[in-house]
Amino acid sequence: MNPRKRSLVSHVLALPSALWMLGALVIPTLFIVWVSFWTTRTFSLESPLGLLNYTKFFNRPTYVKLLADTVQQSLLLMAITVVLGYAIAYFVVMKVRQPALQLGLFLALVIPFWTSVLIRTIAWIPFLGVTGVINQALLFLRVVDEPVSVFLYSRTGITLAQVSFYTLLATGPVVYTLRNIPPSLPEAARSLKATPLRVFWRITVPLTLPGILIGQILVFLNVMADFATASAIGGNKHAFLGNIVILLYDSGQLPFASVIAVLLMLCMLGGVAALLKVVDIRRLGVP
Amino acid sequence: MIRWQTRQKVVKGALGGVTLLFLAYQWFPMLTMAVLSFTGPNGGTTFPMQDVSLHWYRELLRVQMVDDFKPPMLRSLLLALACSVTTAALSLAAAQAMRARFRGNGAFFYLILLGVMAPGLLVGFGVAVVARILGLPLAWYTTTFAVHIVWTLPFGFLTMLAAFNRFDRRLEEAALTLRANRWTTFWRITFPLVLPGVIGAGLFGFTLSYDEFARSFFSTGSEMTLPLVIFAQFDRQLQPTLYAIGTATTVISLTTVAVFAILFRLVRLRTRAAVSAETQ
Repeated sequence: MNPRKRSLVSHVLALPSALWMLGALVIPTLFIVWVSFWTTRTFSLESPLGLLNYTKFFNRPTYVKLLADTVQQSLLLMAITVVLGYAIAYFVVMKVRQPALQLGLFLALVIPFWTSVLIRTIAWIPFLGVTGVINQALLFLRVVDEPVSVFLYSRTGITLAQVSFYTLLATGPVVYTLRNIPPSLPEAARSLKATPLRVFWRITVPLTLPGILIGQILVFLNVMADFATASAIGGNKHAFLGNIVILLYDSGQLPFASVIAVLLMLCMLGGVAALLKVVDIRRLGVP
Repeated sequence: MIRWQTRQKVVKGALGGVTLLFLAYQWFPMLTMAVLSFTGPNGGTTFPMQDVSLHWYRELLRVQMVDDFKPPMLRSLLLALACSVTTAALSLAAAQAMRARFRGNGAFFYLILLGVMAPGLLVGFGVAVVARILGLPLAWYTTTFAVHIVWTLPFGFLTMLAAFNRFDRRLEEAALTLRANRWTTFWRITFPLVLPGVIGAGLFGFTLSYDEFARSFFSTGSEMTLPLVIFAQFDRQLQPTLYAIGTATTVISLTTVAVFAILFRLVRLRTRAAVSAETQ
């Protein structure tokens, strides 16, 4: 087959997927951006576009604080999962020698990923309440004298649940990069009398940096967009930007909901760009 | 030297402890939910359990006007099946296209990967906004289906790219030298060899869609899928029925994964045996 005909076939094969992504993702996103500039609540072609909704957002400290809260929660989760996720990945790949045990640990870690996050969120509720499992355990161990109510309807509870959902996202890519390290590299360093700690910081960490980075991007994106955990565990007391989009949409404030959606997406884009800037992926792997 | 070895052991023990604690942390809520779903008719949503019974599962099966989980469950299963087939077909075509490095393949690659990065709630929100402006109705089999594919396609696509990566091009070339045309070569040689990848893509299509909540939130009309009904019920009142439906749907998810995994292994063993028999 000549190259031109071959290229035509490829384009035809790629077309359905491309159209699907354009129609269900790219065009709707452009619509959100357009709606965010509407100056009237309902749509008419004559209504002028403007920054009215954006100024409204930044003039209200409540909304700006929500934005800050959302970003802060993402940073907190990144800080926790980068350490926890790495420790788990390092143990499973580098410290477990028996293949059967390694496989078992992998499965135990990955199986919850194949179940519904919503169900897993609901499963946290019997743990967090005043009569919940955590409180019963604390009372039994006599850590506290009476039940504490800091878990349910609180940021602590949301964080507890989110750590259990998202740590795996930080672990997975690190597992992948750890497995790709040729054993001869740390061996060479050790034969040159490098201490284990030095081998870890000078060889292992730099070589797994792309994995750490991809994991952190995944955690960041997921926590930024998470609204279900906040609404199920935080009750009405805690909200992130996603929850506000729902609230405004339900009350018919389409343009203002769109503003928040646009700002949320901009934060996510900015965050990913910043993470990629911290570590230049293309230069990694070059000694 | 002895001190070095003890230090290694301490590190290993500490890391192992962290891993085991995390596993307990991850599994304990799910197992607790499963145990509590078997509480008696007077049981509450936390310990202590009042009796052991199948009361809340029977409650699920009983026909009710409100809180009937059966139609949403059927919708979710049908939607997941549709997503499974569509994801497998689209990713097979898209990955096959990528092999020829056509013009614009870089942009195409990122366009599809965008589906993983885009925040689920906002993808659904965008489709809802479009539908509202254009006056189109929302439904689980149109708009929800469309946004679920946006989520499942990148996973299927990456799976297929990996399948083609491991693929031995010489087998195709051999068929072509033996004067098979492109079409025959694809269906007789290429497709059977990448079939495990197709099954993997189908698995992603099914489970990711079946459990999807965020993308369905705005994009589904009045006929809700299972996660939406569960969330609505949870918003009204937490009852042991939710533990029962949660346990049941988790069992369905994991059974599907197991079935696909077995299928995957069988097909891979068969193609391997066939290829080695042919080449000998």
